[in-house]
Amino acid sequence: MLTLNGVTHVYPNGTQALSDVTLTIPKGMFGLLGPNGAGKSTLMRTIATLQTPTAGQITFDGIDVLQEPEKLRERLGYLPQDFGVYPRVNAYDMLDHMAVLKGIASKSDRKATVETLLNQVNLWDVRKKAIAGFSGGMRQRFGVAQALIGNPELIIVDEPTAGLDPEERNRFLNLLAEIGENVVIILSTHIVDDVADLCPRMAVLAAGRLQLEGAPNDLIAGTRGRIWSKTIAREDLPKHREQYEVISTRLIAGATIIHIMSESDPGDGFESASGGLEDVYFSTLSTLRRGNAQQAA
Amino acid sequence: MFLKVFAFELRYQLRNPVFWVVSVLFFLLTFGAATSSNIQIGGGGNVHANSPAALAETLIILTIFFMFVTTAFVANVIVRDDESGFGPMVRSTRISKFDYLMGRFGGAFAISAVAFLTVPFAVWFGSLMPWIDPETLGPNRLSHYLYAYFLLALPGIFLTASLFFAVATVTRTMMGSYIGVVVFLVLYLIFGALTEFDPDLLLFSAYAEPFGGAAYEYLTRYWTASESNTQMAPFFGILMINRLIWFGVSLLALALAYHRYQFAERGMSSRQVKKQQRSAAKLAQQAPVVVDALPAPTAKGAAWSRLLARTRFEMQQVFRSPAFLILMLVGLFNSVAALFFVNQAYGTPTYPRTFYVIDILQGSFAIIPVIIAIFYGGELVWRDRERKMHELIDATPIPNWAFMVPKSFAVVGVLFSALMISVIAAIVVQTLRGYGDYELGKYLAWYVLPLTVEFAQLGILAVFVQALSPNKYVGWALMMLYLVAIITFSALDLDHPLYLFGQGINVPLSDINGTAVSSAGAWWVRLYWGAFSIVLAVAAHWLWRRGTAVTLRGSLRQVPKRLRSASGVVLLAATAMFVGSGFYIYQNTNVLNAYVPGDELEERLAEYEKKYLQYESLKQPSFTDITLKLDIYPDERRFLAEGAAQMINDTGAPVETLHVRFDDTNVQVESVEVQGATLEMHDEAMKYRIYRFDAAMQPGEVRALTFRSKREQNGFRATGNDTRLVHNGTFLNNGEFAPALGMSRSGLLTDRATRRKYDLPAELRPPKLEDTSARERNYVGNLDWVMSDITVSTAADQTPIAPGSRVSDEVVGDRRIARFVSQSPILGFFSVQSATYAVAERSDDGVDFAVYYHEPHDYNVEAMLNAAIESLRYFKQHFGPYQFDYARIIEFPGYASFAQAFAGTVPYSERIGFIANTTDPADIDYVTYVTAHEFGHQYWAHQLISADQQGGTLLVETMAQYSALMVMKSLYGEDKIRRFLKYELDRYLNSRGSEAIEELPLNRVEDQGYIHYRKGAVVMYLLQDRLGEARVNPMLAALLDRYRFKSQPYASSTDLVEGFKSLARNEKERQLVVDLLQKITLYDLQVRSASVRETAAGDFETTITVEAAKFYADGEGRETTTELDDDIDIGMFTARPGLAEFDAADVLHMQRYAIRSGSQEIVILTDERPDYVGIDPYNKYIDRNSDDNILGVDQ
Repeated sequence: MLTLNGVTHVYPNGTQALSDVTLTIPKGMFGLLGPNGAGKSTLMRTIATLQTPTAGQITFDGIDVLQEPEKLRERLGYLPQDFGVYPRVNAYDMLDHMAVLKGIASKSDRKATVETLLNQVNLWDVRKKAIAGFSGGMRQRFGVAQALIGNPELIIVDEPTAGLDPEERNRFLNLLAEIGENVVIILSTHIVDDVADLCPRMAVLAAGRLQLEGAPNDLIAGTRGRIWSKTIAREDLPKHREQYEVISTRLIAGATIIHIMSESDPGDGFESASGGLEDVYFSTLSTLRRGNAQQAA
Repeated sequence: MFLKVFAFELRYQLRNPVFWVVSVLFFLLTFGAATSSNIQIGGGGNVHANSPAALAETLIILTIFFMFVTTAFVANVIVRDDESGFGPMVRSTRISKFDYLMGRFGGAFAISAVAFLTVPFAVWFGSLMPWIDPETLGPNRLSHYLYAYFLLALPGIFLTASLFFAVATVTRTMMGSYIGVVVFLVLYLIFGALTEFDPDLLLFSAYAEPFGGAAYEYLTRYWTASESNTQMAPFFGILMINRLIWFGVSLLALALAYHRYQFAERGMSSRQVKKQQRSAAKLAQQAPVVVDALPAPTAKGAAWSRLLARTRFEMQQVFRSPAFLILMLVGLFNSVAALFFVNQAYGTPTYPRTFYVIDILQGSFAIIPVIIAIFYGGELVWRDRERKMHELIDATPIPNWAFMVPKSFAVVGVLFSALMISVIAAIVVQTLRGYGDYELGKYLAWYVLPLTVEFAQLGILAVFVQALSPNKYVGWALMMLYLVAIITFSALDLDHPLYLFGQGINVPLSDINGTAVSSAGAWWVRLYWGAFSIVLAVAAHWLWRRGTAVTLRGSLRQVPKRLRSASGVVLLAATAMFVGSGFYIYQNTNVLNAYVPGDELEERLAEYEKKYLQYESLKQPSFTDITLKLDIYPDERRFLAEGAAQMINDTGAPVETLHVRFDDTNVQVESVEVQGATLEMHDEAMKYRIYRFDAAMQPGEVRALTFRSKREQNGFRATGNDTRLVHNGTFLNNGEFAPALGMSRSGLLTDRATRRKYDLPAELRPPKLEDTSARERNYVGNLDWVMSDITVSTAADQTPIAPGSRVSDEVVGDRRIARFVSQSPILGFFSVQSATYAVAERSDDGVDFAVYYHEPHDYNVEAMLNAAIESLRYFKQHFGPYQFDYARIIEFPGYASFAQAFAGTVPYSERIGFIANTTDPADIDYVTYVTAHEFGHQYWAHQLISADQQGGTLLVETMAQYSALMVMKSLYGEDKIRRFLKYELDRYLNSRGSEAIEELPLNRVEDQGYIHYRKGAVVMYLLQDRLGEARVNPMLAALLDRYRFKSQPYASSTDLVEGFKSLARNEKERQLVVDLLQKITLYDLQVRSASVRETAAGDFETTITVEAAKFYADGEGRETTTELDDDIDIGMFTARPGLAEFDAADVLHMQRYAIRSGSQEIVILTDERPDYVGIDPYNKYIDRNSDDNILGVDQ
């Protein structure tokens, strides 16, 4: 169980990246959803002991992460949002090296670790190829493999599916799903479907604040009867935006379908729609935006 | 489009680390060569460091080195896209093949050209350094720089760029391109070796040598220094044709590259496909080991494997980087070339003994680890961050020490490996040179280990600086600053090792004495800075940026907490070690010994001169008998001297005061007593005493002087550790422990710039030849003819040696005591030596010959004995009796490389002669030559000594050269002597340029080596050739008779000139004597053409057109043509004179013909067909161009 209490971070240049994030993350896959720049990566790096927050506490299974980062690292598997590779090093050697760093001391243990993982992430055939030549999906799978070394109890994957094609993305998410429910996995992403497909629990982070937290199904249930959709012509969109709280627009076969949030039937051709996680997410963001706009006004 | 590609490539390569590394490397190489004597590019020489000639030489040589770099840039263009997978994307755009390929080539060439700009920049920058003697600099002229850069360097860079661009398009790998470079280099070196020594091929190689070096050399080879300093070789002509030829070759290579380059991605060759299939199949066969549960980490137990894996990984990253390969190649190329060619004397190689080889490696390779340490210091710190690996790595549970510790180990490991590679290269060169005595222990203890420690300190400093820097470029800049600061401080005489980080105590190497002079001190200093480096490493460890948003301030806040950790303990221990060793070093360098910085020493000498040089001409009594008791304690490096001397007033007038001085800084005077005199003035600091006789010393009166003195080295010094009094191989002369009477110029400041700095006249010139009062003093410090009785004691396992007949030699207890007594007067100048020696002895005609040598140095001992015996046989027959019943050659450690003649005793450095490899008959046998020269001094110095005036060295050094040449002639025959003459002639002509004051004729020579040795040898040979050896020698014998053991008036060069004039039988000979001895005369003799036809009688009639000229030069080298009218040799041969195999059997005809200025035709009949004809074929004349004297005959 990972607990964050009042985690706040202000960068030296004054940017408020996190404000008062309080969150409890149980075992199993946890989705952290948020737009770019929401502070997701800051939060991930903070949990991964790579930076110290300005204020707040983080504990994991009784470990005070900020005081004893080395203890957390022993249980941590981390796949950063953007990682590079060393030139002229192949997948096998790199994974072997990472295994040493993670403390797999004996040679035979390392062999078992490296080969099992390469097999598991389906990179066995290309193990002697330089990682520099890998495709994005292969690279992310390598990233997961290294994160899994040594049976971590906390796994953090930061924006793993960005830039992957659908097939690679599926393969990658399946891999995550396989890891099981006995560990804490935090999946940070800005893609709603990643969370919808996988995570029993989730939170939305935007503008450095936790906006929403819960099980996706509960959250979806909470929108029932409040989401309305309408197919309109594209040129009518500005008018609707003025009139209604448009939370999402989508093009289907040339027509624009808009979703709005409303406690009661707005009429005007709107039909009740069964909300999805996307509506939850977008409505949260749009509420936030409106709040900001009011503040500014 | 071309321009865009070009600009992109340029920008891309600017970010390539290779660009930065080589810019720094070439800047440092050039800057070092221009500003200090520790780094050498090419021959150096006597011209100004920023003269057109020096610029040309430096730039051309470095252009050759630079091919490793251009290759990296241009091959990168080809290889890069394939490696990055970016290629197909670029190639599928609409860009044309020409724009793409040539644009990128252009960018890569441009970046090479930009990187090479550091070389002329470094020469210019070096010339601004405050410590450079302004006399070694000329004005900085932009035209000289532009000429050297654009006309000499750039075409060469363009050539190698195009050539290896073509190679890269064919091979498509970096390695393949470098193999191309190596092949090219080997061919180039072979070309050089084949053409260098063949005068017939000079012009050919001027056209054919790709870098323009041979062309430049061809155009300027007989330039005087003033020409080299002010003029650029004419470009239009040979040089331009050379450049055009190779520009054409470059374009051809580019065309080939263009033709070969496949724009579409090239399919793999069937061989590659097969190979890949095979390895794929092999990989596929292996099944992974799959476990259900992954093994758990054992954080505690993983320390060792983490350290090992991290270190190995970091080292691999360095070894695999292209910059490392380039640095190693440049370093190895430089050192292998140096190992093959540099350690030569008289053009003859020495055996590559390890101590000698290490010296060369230190000069030619050691800059590479410096750059590696600095460059990879930055890389190690920033690599993870730049490669975006830091988040992965930092989040793993590795402990904090697992960053800094393995990185430090990796730096050490890489440096150690680099040094080991240079050792392997050295051993390979040793093997190729047929040398098999590999002394791996010495390589390790004298080179690899000390340098690894020193460079590791530098590497850790670099890591520390990088840990503090906001980015690696700032870090590198700071390290450059450090390097420049170190050079500057040392040059400004701020050179104490306690405050110059990473600077040690100089350890001179010797086979005889090992590193014993100062290695203990040097290791203490390494410990001191090593401990400091550990402090730096701990600091860097604490400041390490683990994680993403770590600030320096944040890390600093952690420091108090970390002081209590294990690293805090290490810090404390290292600090204690640093302070402790620093204290010990200070005790040694500043308490037990005095630390006198170089400038303070100069100031003292200047003051000494200002105070006491006024007494130079004060007439003083002369020593007549000297008794010395000398005790050497080699292990303690202690030396005690006790002496008693008789002196006579031979000045012809009463002497009121006696001036007694000790010249050497290391001597401690315990007492001096002068009979019947009181001490009037005592300058303790300068060791100068003035005694006043109670009653003036009357002419002919004899009085006594006694003294006691001591030398010792306690512990070690910061600089100037004693290389004279050592554990094994002590070599002292009496100037280093005994008093001298009166004032002399010896030991005063000589450097012109330094002298001016202290308001002294720029030079102290000897009295003019016309100054007869100068004949009261002799030129060897006005030493007297004395009878000596010297008792030397030393450790029982060493042999004590001093001049004189050995009357006793016994071991008493742990001391070996020997007594040496002179049987005839000797110059009051004694050597004392002691070492563990092997001895080779022989007797000949009542003289006991002995060579005392370091046992492994037995190569030339027999040759030395033969040379000494042959020399004395010749001298006794022609010059007169030899005054001793012994003749000794004694090896001394190579802290200096000379041989010196004391009475019957010749100390001979281990660096020359003893390790000369004279097995190749084509090489000059300088062992015999030098030995004969030193024994020549037993007559010319030790029987006749000349006055302290112009021309003084003519009667000593030139006559010793003459003696040696006559010995060589009697041993090798007249026809083999050309090699010696040519060597001496070339040295003379080459050295004229370096004259700082004025060139003088031989009879007025002012201790100018290139005149009295080099020119003197050639001149004396011609004189004896023309006047007859059999007539010259009796004249010389008479001169010796006249001056043997005589004091004032001492012999003058005029005596010799008159002697030669008396032998002249006609006007031509008389003129020749005048021209050679009293003027600076240069000749230009040349065979223009030669053709032969067979006569009806079956003889061969050769028609030779010769051209001749004679010039007089003044002191600055300005020449005026004058009429030549002389009888000069015309020779006809079946082989080229000067070649090793050439001998008397190849001479068909040799006869003097009357030769006048201008062109003339000579017809000669011979019964055999000549292949070569020559005018003055043996180079007896001072010929400005001695290579055109001989010509092949048109058949």
